[in-house]
Amino acid sequence: MEKPISRGSLFWYGMTMLTLFFMSADVSAQNKDGDKHYHTPSEINNKLEEIRKSSKKSTKIHTLATSPGGRSVQMIEIGPEVDNEKKQLPAIFVAANLEGTIPISSEAAIHLAELVISEQAAQDKTWYIVPNGNPDAAAHYFKNPLLKDSRNDLSHNDDMDENTDEDGFEDLNEDGFITKMRVKDPTGEWRPVEGDSRLMKKADPTKGEKGIYKLYTEGIDDDGDGKYNEDGKGGVNVNRNFPHLFKDFTETGGAWPGSTPEVYAIFDFVYSHPEIAMTFSYGATNFSKVAPKGGRKSSADFENLKIPESFADQLGADPDKTYTMDEVIRMVEPLAPAGFEVTESVVASFLGLGAVVNPQSEDLKFYNELADQYKEYLKEKGLDAERLGPEAAKDASFELWSYYHLGIPTFSMDFWRLPKPKKEKKDEEGSGLTADKIEKMSSEEFVALGEEKIGMFLEEIGAPDQFTAKRVIGMIEGGQMTPKRMGTMIKKMGNAKGSDSSSDGASEKDKALMAFNDNVLDGSGFVEWESYNHPTLGEVEIGGEVPFVRNTPPGNMVDSLLKAQVPWTITLSEKIAKLQILNHEVQSKGSNVFKITVWVENENYLPFPTAMGKKNKQPRPAILSLQAKGLKVLDGKQRTPINSIGGHEVKKYSWLVRSPESNTIDVNLESTHAWNDRTQVNLGGSK
Amino acid sequence: MKLLKTTITTVLLLLLAQAGFAQPSNIEIDVPLRFDHYYDYSQVVEAVKALHEAHPKMTDTEVIGESEEGRDIWSLTINNPNTGKPLTKPGVYVDGNIHGNEIQATEVNLYLMNYLLTNYGSNKKVTNMVDRNVFYFVPSINVDGRYHFFNDPNTPSSNRGLRIPKDDDRDGLFDEDFPEDLNGDGSINRMRKKDPFGKWKTDPKDPRIMVRTEPGEMGEWTILGQEGIDNDGDGRVNEDSEGYVDPNRNWGSSWAPPYVQRGAGNYPYSGNVTKAVTEFMMERPNIIMVFAFHNTGGMFLRGPGTKEEGPLNPQDVNVYDLLGKNAEKIVPDYRYLISWKDLYSTYGDFTEFTYNQVGAFSFVGELFMSEQETYKAHDEKESGDNESSAFSESTKQKRERLQFNDHVVQGSLYNEWKTYDHPKYGEVEIGGWAKMSSRLPHPFMLQNLVHRNASAVMYAAAQTPEVSMEIFDTEKVDNNLHKVRVRVVNHNAIPTMTYHSVKNKLFPKDRLKVSGNDIKVIAGGEITNLYRDQVRYKDHKPEIQFFRVPGNEAVEYEFLVEGDGRVNVEYKSRKAGKCSQQTSL
Repeated sequence: MEKPISRGSLFWYGMTMLTLFFMSADVSAQNKDGDKHYHTPSEINNKLEEIRKSSKKSTKIHTLATSPGGRSVQMIEIGPEVDNEKKQLPAIFVAANLEGTIPISSEAAIHLAELVISEQAAQDKTWYIVPNGNPDAAAHYFKNPLLKDSRNDLSHNDDMDENTDEDGFEDLNEDGFITKMRVKDPTGEWRPVEGDSRLMKKADPTKGEKGIYKLYTEGIDDDGDGKYNEDGKGGVNVNRNFPHLFKDFTETGGAWPGSTPEVYAIFDFVYSHPEIAMTFSYGATNFSKVAPKGGRKSSADFENLKIPESFADQLGADPDKTYTMDEVIRMVEPLAPAGFEVTESVVASFLGLGAVVNPQSEDLKFYNELADQYKEYLKEKGLDAERLGPEAAKDASFELWSYYHLGIPTFSMDFWRLPKPKKEKKDEEGSGLTADKIEKMSSEEFVALGEEKIGMFLEEIGAPDQFTAKRVIGMIEGGQMTPKRMGTMIKKMGNAKGSDSSSDGASEKDKALMAFNDNVLDGSGFVEWESYNHPTLGEVEIGGEVPFVRNTPPGNMVDSLLKAQVPWTITLSEKIAKLQILNHEVQSKGSNVFKITVWVENENYLPFPTAMGKKNKQPRPAILSLQAKGLKVLDGKQRTPINSIGGHEVKKYSWLVRSPESNTIDVNLESTHAWNDRTQVNLGGSK
Repeated sequence: MKLLKTTITTVLLLLLAQAGFAQPSNIEIDVPLRFDHYYDYSQVVEAVKALHEAHPKMTDTEVIGESEEGRDIWSLTINNPNTGKPLTKPGVYVDGNIHGNEIQATEVNLYLMNYLLTNYGSNKKVTNMVDRNVFYFVPSINVDGRYHFFNDPNTPSSNRGLRIPKDDDRDGLFDEDFPEDLNGDGSINRMRKKDPFGKWKTDPKDPRIMVRTEPGEMGEWTILGQEGIDNDGDGRVNEDSEGYVDPNRNWGSSWAPPYVQRGAGNYPYSGNVTKAVTEFMMERPNIIMVFAFHNTGGMFLRGPGTKEEGPLNPQDVNVYDLLGKNAEKIVPDYRYLISWKDLYSTYGDFTEFTYNQVGAFSFVGELFMSEQETYKAHDEKESGDNESSAFSESTKQKRERLQFNDHVVQGSLYNEWKTYDHPKYGEVEIGGWAKMSSRLPHPFMLQNLVHRNASAVMYAAAQTPEVSMEIFDTEKVDNNLHKVRVRVVNHNAIPTMTYHSVKNKLFPKDRLKVSGNDIKVIAGGEITNLYRDQVRYKDHKPEIQFFRVPGNEAVEYEFLVEGDGRVNVEYKSRKAGKCSQQTSL
C-alpha cells in the first residue's frame, strides 16, 4: 500500500535519480512527532499528577467529571488556599481544549501550570486549570487513523436509523489519515481549484463553473443506506454545549446546555466558586488579540422596548412606540401586587426580551487596549509574523458563556495559526516564470532563459539548494528532462507559483495551508489524490489535507510558541480588579453623631465587574461594613454593597452613625473575588 | 411587661392558629384515598406507598431523587404487567407541585392514581386505558416547597421556589430576612398602618378591603408589605427570603439566564429536582403525553413558551387543539391557551423541555379559579369587570370573595385585620387571605377540582396512539416474486410521534421491517395512492421503512419480495409499542 508522498522532496529526489517515476517515500506525519511534544489525555493527567507531587503544599487535583468515553476530566488547583473550601483570594479559571481538536492548547495549559508555580504567580490568587476539557475528542489525535472530530464519545444515532454509531470513517488507503474521497460524477458540485488542483471548491454556476466531482469523507457505507460515514461514534462537542446562544437540535451541540457531563461539571464548579474573577479559554479563539465580536441582531435593546399589543392596553402604553426599560418599569409597578419588586429581569422575562448578544461597549475598550498591548508584547517576543486570524467565538461556547453569563473578564488564546500566505508577486517582479509557461517551452527556449532567471524561479518554488540553475540546465540539455515534464511535475507539487492562474478560487486559509504544506512540512500536510477502488463508489481518488495541520504546529515549534505566549495569561491575571480601602475620615457632628467617610479604590486595571457583569448582576458585590460596639447607623447601610468600581477608580461611601466617642469602628471590605481589606476608624482620635 | 403581654397573645393565637380551613389531624391514609383534605409531604409519601401496597402488581414506586434539603422525590408507575412491559406502551406522565405552594396539583395526581387503580377491572374505559398505557406520576416535585408550605407560615403565593439560597438584597448574606408570622396565625399576611398621607383608603362596602385614593383625597392607610420584621437591620423588611430559583424556569429548553428570566437558576438543571425528573423522563422515551399541574387561573397551557421559538407545526397544533378544547369542556370555565401569547413568555419551563426533548404533547394545567368562589344570586351578572387585570382582581371580585368566605366557608379563608405592636412600625394591623386560600379550593370544592382535571388527563390518555398492523395483500408477480402489502393503522387521535420530533430528528421514526430466512426484499416503499397503485420506493435498504403514523390514519407500504417461505413483518415505535405479523409466500 502506498504511503502519502512528500512531493517537494520527491520531485528533487526524482530529478537527482534522473527518473520521472514517482517512488514511495516514507514520511512521518508531522503530528506523530517522535519527541512527544503532544500528550494524550491520560499523559496530560499524569503530568498534572507530577506537578502536584512537585509542589504538594500549593496544589490539588480535582476530578470534575467523567466523559462519556470514560475519561476523567481533571483540574489542577494551584494556590495558597488549597486546603480551604472557602477562598479569601480571587481565582483564575482556565479551560483548555474544550473543542478537543487543538492539542497545543492542552500543552499550553500544562505549561501554564508549571509557569504559575515557577513564577510564583499563585501567591495572591488561586489558579484552576483544566488542561483537557474534552478528553474523548482530544484522544483522537493520538489514534490511528488520524481523525479530527470535536465530538465526545456519547453515542448518538446521527442518521436516525435502527442502529447507533454504525457508519463511521475508514482509512481505506491505510495512510493513517481520514481524508476525503472524490468521485467524478456529472451531478457533482465540486471542482478542483484552478490555481491548485489539489484543492477542491464548490462550483459556482453564476461564474459558469460546472461541478465535476462528488466529495465524501473517507470510508465505506457500513450500513448500506447510501450515505457515507454519517453515523460514526461521537456525540457532543463540549465547546458547543454552553448556554449563551445555544440552539436546540444542532448536530454537535447536545440536547441542552450542560447536557454533557464535562460541561455540567464546569457549571457546577464555577458557580460554587465565586472567587473566580477571570476565565481563560485555550483553544480556537483569541480574545487577547481580538475583542469578542459584536454586531449581532438583538431583541434585548433596553433603551428601545416595544410593548406587545396584548399588554399595551393594560399598561396604558402605545404598541407602536418604543420605551426605555425605566419607563416600562414605572408602567408595570402600579399594577404589581404590593411587595412585589418590579426589576429589569421581571420586565425582560415578561416581555420576552431575550439575552444580551453583543459585548458591552465599555468592555470593548479594555479588550481593545489589552489587545494592542498584547500585539506589542508579541512583537518583542519576535512572534509578530502575520498569521491567519483566530476563529470567532462560536455560539454556545465556553468563552461566550463566561463573558455573557458570568460577567467577568474573559480571555482566550489560540497559540498558533498557519502563517499568512505571502502575497503573490507579480510576474515582472520575479522570474516571470510559471509552470504553465515552462510546460509550453521547448528545451532551447528554456535554456535561453539564462541562469539568473531560472535560478530565481527555482528559488520561488522552494527548490533545495543543490538544484542550481546550472544543474537543471544541464539536465535539460542532456535530455534527461524536458520543460514539459518539468512543468507538469512542478504543478503536481502544487506550488503556488506553479501555474499561470495561480491559486485563484482558493481561500486564503487554503492557500496558507498549501503554502505551509509545501514550504515547511515538506508535503506531509496534504495527501495527494490517488485513485482507489471503492467497493460501492467504484473508482475514487482519496486525498486531501491531513487532519490537524491547520491548527497544530510541528512538534518542534511547540516549546518556543508556548514560552512566548503563555506568560501573557499571567500578565492579564495581574490586571483583575483589586479593591482596597484608600482612606477614611471622621467628622463629629456633636452628641455622639459622626459622619464617617471611606474611600474605596480599585487599584488594578480591569473593572469590578465588567459592564456585562453590571448588567447581569451575576458577580457578587463587595460589601463594605461597619462594626463596633454600641454603633447605630442613622443613615446608610451597615452592610453597603459595592456593585461596581471601574479600573483605577475611587468611590466614596459615607454613613451617619451614633456611637460612643471612645469607640473604634472596624471597617471591613469583603469581596468574593477582588480581595479583602479592613481598617479601623477611631472616633475619638483621628480627624 | 409589654413584651410579656405580646408573648401571651402570641401563644394564645398559636393555639387558635389556622392557616385557613381546618385540616383533619391524624388521618389514616388508606386506599381508596380521601379527597376532603390536603396531603402534607409525609402524607403524600404515605399515600404513594399505600397505593402500591394495595395494588402491588399494577404499581411500582421509585425514589427518583433527593431535594436540596434531602427529601425524597417519589414516583409511582401504573402498569399492567399482563399487557406488556412499561416501555412497550405509550407513556402518560403526570406531575404536580413543581411550585411549592401549588399544592392541590399533588391531589390531582393522587386522585388520578387512586381512580385508575380502584376503577381498574370495573370501569371499561379505565380498564382499557390502563391496559394500553403506562402512567408515570411524580405527584410532588418540589418536595421542600411542599414541606415548608404546610409547616411554615406563608402567603398563598410564597414558597414557590427551590431551597437554593440567593442573596436578593446583595448584602453578602443569603436568605437572612424572611417574613415572620408576627401574630402567629400560621399565615403571612399584610401589614397596614393608619396614615392620613397613605395612598389607600377603606372600601365603603367592605372595611377589610382597601382601595387607592383618588387625586384630591386624603388617605387612610399605608401598606407596609408582608408581615415581618427587618431581620438584618438594613432598613428593609422581608427583602431577602428563601431562594429564589424557580424550578419551572430551570429546564434546558430555551433556558435563559437569571437577568433575562427571573428565577432561572445559574444554569439549566442546577436544581436537584429538575435534574432528577429529567433523568427519570429520559429513561422513559415512551412518554408521549405530559400533564404538569400548577395553580392558579383555570388554564390548560401549551407551548411555545416564548415568541422566538416560532409557532408550532400545524400537525401538532391539531392534536393540541383536540385535547385542549376537550379539556376546556371537561373542566368548566378553564381556558386552553398558548403560553407566551395568551399569558406571558417563560424561558426554560418544564413543558418546553418535554415537548422539545421528550417529544411529548405537553400541557400545563393551572388549577383553580378564584372566580369560582361565588356569592351571588342566580340572576346576578358576572362579578368580573374591566377593573381587573392580569395582575389583580377588581374590588368587586374582592368583595364577593369575602362574602364567599363569610357565608360559604364560615370565615375560614380570611384572617381579619388585627392590631399588632410592630418593633419598627409601631401599631399596625395585620390581616388578609390565609395561606390555604386564594389559589386553592376549600376542601369542599377539592373533590370536584381533582376529578374534573383528572378526567382531562384520562381523555388524553384514551387518545394515545393505538397501532395495529396487517398484511392486507399478497400478490404473486412472478414465479419467485411476490408483492406484499402492509397497512399500519393508528386508531386514536394522538400520532405515534410529534411532528416536531420528526422534524428535529429527536429520535428514529417508527420502523417497519420485513424479514425471513429465504426471502430478499427487492424493493419497497410507501403506497402513496392505493387505488392507482403508486408507490414511492426507497433507494436503499428497502426491507426497512421509517415513518410516523398520524392520528386516526393509516400508512401503507408495499414490498417486492423474492423467494418464498415465511415472511415476518414487524412494526416498532418508540412511543406506540410494537406489533408483528407473519405470512407465507
